[in-house]
Order: sequence, then C-alpha cells, then structure tokens
Amino acid sequence: MNVIELEKVTKTFDKLVAVDDLSLAVPQGSIYGFIGPNGSGKTTTLRMIMNIFYPDSGSIRVFGKESQGSSNNRICYLPEERGLYKKMKVREILKFYGNLKNGKNLDKEIEFWLDALDLSEWADKKISTLSKGLSQKIQFIATVVSRPELLILDEPFTGLDPVNTDVIKDEVLKLQDRGTTIIFSTHDMGIAEKMCDFIFMIFKGKKVLDGTLSSIQDKYGSDTLRMSCKDGISALKDLDGVDKINDFGQTQELHMNGECDSQNVLSQIMSRTSVDSFEIARPSLHDIFVRIARPEHEEQH
Amino acid sequence: MYKTFIIARMEYLSTLKSKSFVIIMLMAPIIMSGSGLTMKLLENKVDTTDKKIAVIDRSGVIIEHLVEAAKTRNESEMFDEESGKKIKPAYIFESVEPAENQQSQQLELSDQVRNGSLHGFLDIGSDVLHPGENQETRRITYHSKNSSIDQVRYWLQSRINIQLRRLRLAEVEVEESVIDDVLTWLDTEALGLTSIDEETGDIKDAQRSSEIQSILIPVIFGMIMYLLILMGSISQLQSVMEEKSQRIAEVLLGSVKPFELMMGKLGGGVGIAMTVSLFYVILAVIAVNYWGYEEFIPYAVLPWFFVFTFFAIVMFGAINAALGATCNDPKDAQSMTFPALLPVIIPLFVMIPVIQQPLTGFATGMSLFPLFTPMLMTMRVATPTGIPMWQPWVGLAGVIIFALFFIWVGGRIFRVGILMQGQPPKLSNLIRWAIKG
Repeated sequence: MNVIELEKVTKTFDKLVAVDDLSLAVPQGSIYGFIGPNGSGKTTTLRMIMNIFYPDSGSIRVFGKESQGSSNNRICYLPEERGLYKKMKVREILKFYGNLKNGKNLDKEIEFWLDALDLSEWADKKISTLSKGLSQKIQFIATVVSRPELLILDEPFTGLDPVNTDVIKDEVLKLQDRGTTIIFSTHDMGIAEKMCDFIFMIFKGKKVLDGTLSSIQDKYGSDTLRMSCKDGISALKDLDGVDKINDFGQTQELHMNGECDSQNVLSQIMSRTSVDSFEIARPSLHDIFVRIARPEHEEQH
Repeated sequence: MYKTFIIARMEYLSTLKSKSFVIIMLMAPIIMSGSGLTMKLLENKVDTTDKKIAVIDRSGVIIEHLVEAAKTRNESEMFDEESGKKIKPAYIFESVEPAENQQSQQLELSDQVRNGSLHGFLDIGSDVLHPGENQETRRITYHSKNSSIDQVRYWLQSRINIQLRRLRLAEVEVEESVIDDVLTWLDTEALGLTSIDEETGDIKDAQRSSEIQSILIPVIFGMIMYLLILMGSISQLQSVMEEKSQRIAEVLLGSVKPFELMMGKLGGGVGIAMTVSLFYVILAVIAVNYWGYEEFIPYAVLPWFFVFTFFAIVMFGAINAALGATCNDPKDAQSMTFPALLPVIIPLFVMIPVIQQPLTGFATGMSLFPLFTPMLMTMRVATPTGIPMWQPWVGLAGVIIFALFFIWVGGRIFRVGILMQGQPPKLSNLIRWAIKG
C-alpha cells in the first residue's frame, strides 16, 4: 500500500516552475530519500505533501485522501529551517508540539525521547541556552513525540556532528522498525545510500531518478573504477578511455566511456605507478548525482 | 479549532508570564493617571510666598477698597482653620502715586518685579468708574511675570468690578442694604438629567455633573482601548514577523494550517486584551469607590466597552498578523507600523471635539466608520449627552463585518506571506496575495 501518491503535480512561483509534472508513490513502512541540488524542488514537493503549498495541477493523496498534510495528526514534518521559541523551556515546547499533534501519553513520551537522545538534563532549560546541535535534536523530538505514522524530514542531518548524526539515524531506523513510513531529503549521498529503501532525485523540478539504489545503479552499469595508487591523481592524467576522475585524496573514482576496457586502463596506470587497490564498481549515488547535476552547472558557468 | 486553541493558549500564557507584560500592565494605568495623580499631589503644594503688588490708581476710587478687601481675605483665607498652617499667600497692596511719564513709571515697576521686590503691579485708568470713549483712560492693566494665569489677576478683576458697581449704585443714591442685595452673586450648579429609578419607579434626583463625567470618563475609555489595541493587535505585527524570521512559523506550519496559526495568535491577543481590560476595569471601580466618586462609574458603558474592545482586537489583529507575515526583518516591520497604527491614532486626534459635541454629523460619521467605531463610539456612549441607541448597534454591525472581512483577507495574505522570503511588503504584493490567496 502506498502512503503517499503524487500524480502529475506541477507548482509554479510566478514564472518559475518549481515542480514539473511530478508523479511519485511512497510505499508504507519504507524510507524514501529525496535528493537533488539546491533549488531543485525538494522542499516545495515536501511542502505540497504537507498541504502547506497547494499544487497548481495534479493530485496529492496522503493515506488515500487529498488535502491532508499538516492538519492530519498521523503526519509529522521537520522543516529544513529550524525554529523554536527561545524563551520556552525544553519540556514545555515538546509538550506544545505534542499537543498540536494530539499526542498521547506525552509526559512519558517526552521522558523517553529525552532519555534516548541523552537530553534529560536539559529538560527544564530554556531553548536559548542550547547549542545549535542540541536545538536540532530537540526539534527532532518535537517532530516524533506524537508517534506519527508518516514522518517527513527535510534535511534532518544538516549541521549535526557525526555522533549526533548517528544518534538521529539510529532513531529514524528504529521508527521504521515500528512501522513508521519516513521520507527525508538530504545532500549526504552516503546516508541516502545506506538508509534509504528508495531514492528519488529531482532536478529542475523534474523527476530524474526513482527506485531502489540497486535499480538506479543498474541503469548506469559497471563503468566505474575505484582505486588507489602511490602517486595519486598526478599519475592518472590523460588516460585513454577515461572520461572523468573524482579525486577523494586517498582514493580516486574513474568514469570510463562506453567502449573502454578496464584491463586496458589498469595496465596504463601500472605502467606509470604502483597500484595499491583496484575495483570495478557500479557508480556511487554521489557520482550519479554529479553526473546529472554537473552538466547544468558547467553550462551555467 | 482544537489546534487554534492550543496556539492561543500558548500565546496567552507566554505573554502573561513575560516580565514586559507585567511591567506594561502596571505602568499603563500609572502613566495614564500620572497627570491626574500629579495634579492631586500638587493640589496642596501652593506657593504661599506673600504677594506684594504696587497699585497706580489714577481714578483714586479703588486702592482703598483693595487694601481693605485684601486685609479681610488675608485674615479669613490665609490659614487652615484646623491646623493653623499657612495655605495661601498674603496679598499686600501698596499705593504708588501716578507719575507724569506712565511708560517710565511702568518700566521702573517692571524692574522691581524682575528683581523680586514686587510680585506685580496694577495700573488703573482714571475713567474706570464711568468708562468713556477713551480707551487709554478706561484700561485696567495688571503686570507680572506670568500675568495670564496669575491667581492674583482673577482675584483683582472680581474685587475691582464689585467695587466699581457698588460706587455707581451709591452715586444714584441706592441704599447700602439694597446694593448688597443687588450685588449678591449666585453660582449655577451643573447637574445631569432627572430620571426614574428602574427598581423602585421613583423619580431620581439629577446627579451632579462635572468635567470628570463629561470629558475625563470618555477620554479614559478611549485611551484604555487604544492601549489594549496596541497590546493585543498591533503587537501581532512584530510577533508574526519574529516568528517568520526565526523560522518558527514554518515549524508550526508542519502541525497547523496557516489560518489556524493566525487565528490562534489572534485568540491569544484577544485573551490578553480582555484580561487586561478586566483588570483595568476592576482596578478603576475599586479606586473610584475608594475615593468616593462611585456615582461616576458608567456601568451602562462597560458592556459596549468590552464588546467593542473584543472586535477591535480581532479586526486590527487579523490585519496586523497578515502585515507581519509579509515582513522579512525588523526594518520591514518598522516601516509597516505607522500605516498599521494610523486607524488607531486618528480617533485620538478627533477625540476631544467628538466628546464635546457627540451629536454632530462629524462625530456620528466618524464613529460609524468601522475602523474608528470601537474607540469613538465607546467614547460617545460614555458622554453624559448620550447618543441615539441605534448608533452603537449599527456601529457594532459594521465592526463585525469589517472584522470578518479582515480575517478573510488577512488569512489569505498570511498564508502566502508567512513562507515567502525576500519579498518586500509592497502594497501590490498584498493586493495580489489577497486576491490570489
């Protein structure tokens, strides 16, 4: 069963087409990752699902009904922009947001989540005394405290350190285990690859990718060589059959053109330097993202 | 509805708990009654320094009487009968012979006033007993540092005129006892209208009327309502702008519809205003009873005051919340504050003529314009003159229609504006958002 269904949805702001003829279906219990460059239409899509923006055309059904969103207590939304009342205390604000979603056993839930995210000692402190990271964790609790069935998170990991990223990531996975459907948008391709059952990419308002990571990678084939060598990127210039190189410092990702043979590339490299590791791989999500988004950037430059 | 209530409760409680609210609530009546309180405090702080006044009596018929009258006054009025404390200054008149050069003499006396040896001087023309055509010889001039509001001048004017009339009557041989009768002065008391007691059916005596009833009570109602509108409605502009710029609005919109958010904020504002108005009214009733002016409490006006306050907060609150949603930063909000305040300030400008003559076409027309109705109609209802009963009802209908219209328009502007970043709050944008929604 699909929790969310978008059919031919279009939204324009003045002359800018933010979302163009978008169709999408989010299965129940899945984690659905929204990726795309800045300004591609991710947040607009999420806001339309939340019924904060109305589409110009097309239909959006959530739990099988139209015009749901923020008014539906089964759906909770963590927007990209974080904002909390600075003068309120942590417990007060969590109760306020829980009440807005008609949450049950809120006192218990608040204790549970504060404990889970190691924030119990901050319960009676004012928001103004919290660091940015702590505020972000509080904002996350405010979103999940009412135990929604559908959770929509816009950039939930932005600004968090690796420890807190892991904490939030673990909690998101636990929520999925309990049956919650989760949509989140992210710029972190590593997280999207590891966490998402389905990945959806939007670019200039249009859907360019939609499916499991494996199905997406299949489309691009095994045209990537992941390797490391003694002399690094300097030894890899002007290789025959290689279109592009992504340099990560210690490792490099080489994108081969269609006709190229990986063994030929390896022998070229070995003639120049000693190879530490060499792997024929499918392109990473990062690579796929860049392949889609970069030509546009280059044109603009 | 439930979510609107949650937002309203949060707005209400957070405002109620804030220190600034407590300060404003307590400061406002203090500031408003500040001038009255100061006057009351200064009432007994009279300058009791003796007033020495030089008199050039060119007629020769006044000075003697003035010296005599001052002596009587000083003996009977200067000291408090119970405490024996000096409560008024003594008036001491000193006769000065008229000099040939009047200007030089006046200059010399003026210098004495300047150096403090005299309080003032009086120059009485030679023909004051029978004033003729000559404007110079019939003049009485009083000179002091602040002669226009000098209490001595009022006293002199009354005494001199009584004496001149007495002399004129004596010249035509009217007997002394008849003169006293002729010159007897009676005050006209200011009273209200006689009415029937609703409980007993008896005719009630007219109550004493005063400036308190005629001017002060309507002004107090107007000023309190102005304050409540500032507190409950105009503050929405700043508050919504802050929530928008701090991104709180977007978080809230994940849980409530924009209209519910706006109505919740409005509900909080109304709650605050009604709490404060109730506090002010109870405080005023207690204070007025304590000071023994209970007959001045206009109980009949209170229902109108509360109803008009309620709808004024809703009406102005809706439009201010919408304007706040169009602002991106404090600078935008600052530029919107004056136009937002204008419909509340205009009633203050026209307040006095409307109170003095509440039945004129101007007063009626102004008070029936819905934006001005809450303040002006309440003030008119509070005047002792009274106004036709249909007018506050028609005014109320207009205010309700405007309030509903503003909620509708405000809701549409709020919905678009609250998530729109970087767009300046231009009139063209407001109209577009209001029409397009």
